Amino acid sequence: MFAVLSPRFRSIENVQNMVDAAAVLAVVTCGITFVLLMGSIDLSAAGVMGASALTVSLLVANNRNDNDLGLLGIGVAVLLGCAFGCLSGLALVLLKVPSFMATLGVSAVGLGVATLMFAGVQPNISDAMLKGWAIERFLGLSYLTWIAATCVLVGWLLQRYTRLGRYAFAIGGAEEVLALSGVRVKPYKVAVFAVAGAFYGLAGVMVTSQLGAGLVQAGSGYDFSAITAAVVGGTLLTGGRGGVLHSAVGVLLVVVLTNGLVQIGVSPYWQGGVEGLIVVAAVAAAVIPQRRRNQVVK
Amino acid sequence: MKITTRPTVILLSLSLAAALTGCSEQAAGGGDSAAAGGCKPADVKLVGQVRNESNPYEASWLTGGDEFAKTVGLTQQRLTYGGDSTKQQEQISQLLAGDTTCLVMNVLPNGDSDTAAIVKGADTAGAYLVTQWNKPADLKPADYKTWISHITYNGVESGRQIGDALATAIGGQGGIIALQGVLDTAAAKDRFAGLQESLKKNPGVELLDQQTANFSRAEARTVTQTLLTKHGDKVKGIWTANDDMALGALEALQQAGRAGQVAVVGIDAVPDAVKAVQDGSMTATVSSDGTWQGGIGLAIGFCVATGKLAVKDLPAANRAFFAEQFLVTKENAADFAQPKTNPSDFECGNVFKRVAGALT
Repeated sequence: MFAVLSPRFRSIENVQNMVDAAAVLAVVTCGITFVLLMGSIDLSAAGVMGASALTVSLLVANNRNDNDLGLLGIGVAVLLGCAFGCLSGLALVLLKVPSFMATLGVSAVGLGVATLMFAGVQPNISDAMLKGWAIERFLGLSYLTWIAATCVLVGWLLQRYTRLGRYAFAIGGAEEVLALSGVRVKPYKVAVFAVAGAFYGLAGVMVTSQLGAGLVQAGSGYDFSAITAAVVGGTLLTGGRGGVLHSAVGVLLVVVLTNGLVQIGVSPYWQGGVEGLIVVAAVAAAVIPQRRRNQVVK
Repeated sequence: MKITTRPTVILLSLSLAAALTGCSEQAAGGGDSAAAGGCKPADVKLVGQVRNESNPYEASWLTGGDEFAKTVGLTQQRLTYGGDSTKQQEQISQLLAGDTTCLVMNVLPNGDSDTAAIVKGADTAGAYLVTQWNKPADLKPADYKTWISHITYNGVESGRQIGDALATAIGGQGGIIALQGVLDTAAAKDRFAGLQESLKKNPGVELLDQQTANFSRAEARTVTQTLLTKHGDKVKGIWTANDDMALGALEALQQAGRAGQVAVVGIDAVPDAVKAVQDGSMTATVSSDGTWQGGIGLAIGFCVATGKLAVKDLPAANRAFFAEQFLVTKENAADFAQPKTNPSDFECGNVFKRVAGALT
């Protein structure tokens, strides 16, 4: 539809632009998909990304201190994301905090940690490699896009070929059955949240590369967009259905939507509302086949 | 038992009542002296309140407050409420529950709707108050005794100033795109109205597109990228309603391989933007001078509290006004790179020097 309305939309540059714009969202969505598959929800992306963005920007070459750890700094940021994910998972299985509350709490903790590290002066990165990720291109696409593609691939392999991925499906489908058949479910739940956290950590690093600076708000809005993308792609909020590839398609749809609205020149005063309507319509269309089987909507 | 306890209770309550009346009499006496503005300089308590210190602009407020406090040998109590209206009100009521006789507050209300409660609280307690940026139009300092002034900035003017600077930078000819702020805020509306005024004056400049990026660096980057692919080489300049968006636009230009070919302007003069103006990657920004804002509110309050100025003598234009703002370009960027205060700005005779127009 957008392709008919705007000739620019069809151009190769715009396709490149859209795929590049999808990179960070794709990584976040990859992480959140695993949690959704289990039938839990994860709202911690914003906080975890903020904390990891600040961590990485303070560990690679920057204007605040003399650190220049390069790849190691990036690794630490991803591990930090992983640790936050663990925290959510532990709160869920040990303290029995519902996942939306546990992850919301962890998000607040992440934002708090990020604000502490921010300390009034924005860290701008000067690390050539990290900045290059957003600027340099390989086969017409930025490095970030290739990283995102790798993440989707890794996510898919995890989901398809590891016990973790298969159990995530099973937990979402019928946790009791799995528990009764002698599987210890709890460690897998924690592991799923940890994997998701690592993806958010990487996403935080990617945003930092794009913006050239560590921002506390690096992840704001990504939690909602990622859940939207996953659901639009066909991953059910009730768990057990969908997957990383579904979600990746959802990401592309969401990005095409936002890009298309700008390209055909919808007034900014209308865009927010129009976008929301289209998302609700798309989700409604996606669940029509399930409506008979699944009559309750929560 | 009952008989013995009752008199005790009565005695207790009597003595309590006596103590209470004693207290309230004292407080009332203090209030009288406050209205007359007869505080000793050493008794004045200075409080600066902003949203958070993680925002360089608001951090510079508190620095300015500290610097003023130093000139009069006091210290400023620094308060931050994290952009949370409820928390701001709580902090204010805690302050007002203490000794308010010589209390001076320089407050950044979270939003228009938060100002009324702060003002009423301060007025009842007799604390001196200066507010900045946000207030509803029908709430006026002139109607209150100790709400000395409200200071804000003319967004239409800053929007026009950078619009004109952008027009000059692209030689008065060519297409520009505009990134708006959060659409339902006064700042975003006024600044965009300023751009439209500037466009009328510069008929050669064409507004190709306008989008909102919600004052956010990350959103500005994505929107700019999309608009650059949409309009291609026709884009000669980018007008943004704040510096964060300008910096996001700069990143997008760099990633599109067009850094240095497109002029970018913003508003607020955050340190990174001033640096970008200095090295030429940005064309202009507008400074409201955050350190001055942080100091001036306390200075006005201090002058009134110590009796050097009297609220009833102040002209209407000093009670609610637009303060002077400054266009930062490559020529003068070095002056804004290190925000500093000028102690003479805070002398009682000079505190209203930067009034640029009455706020009606």
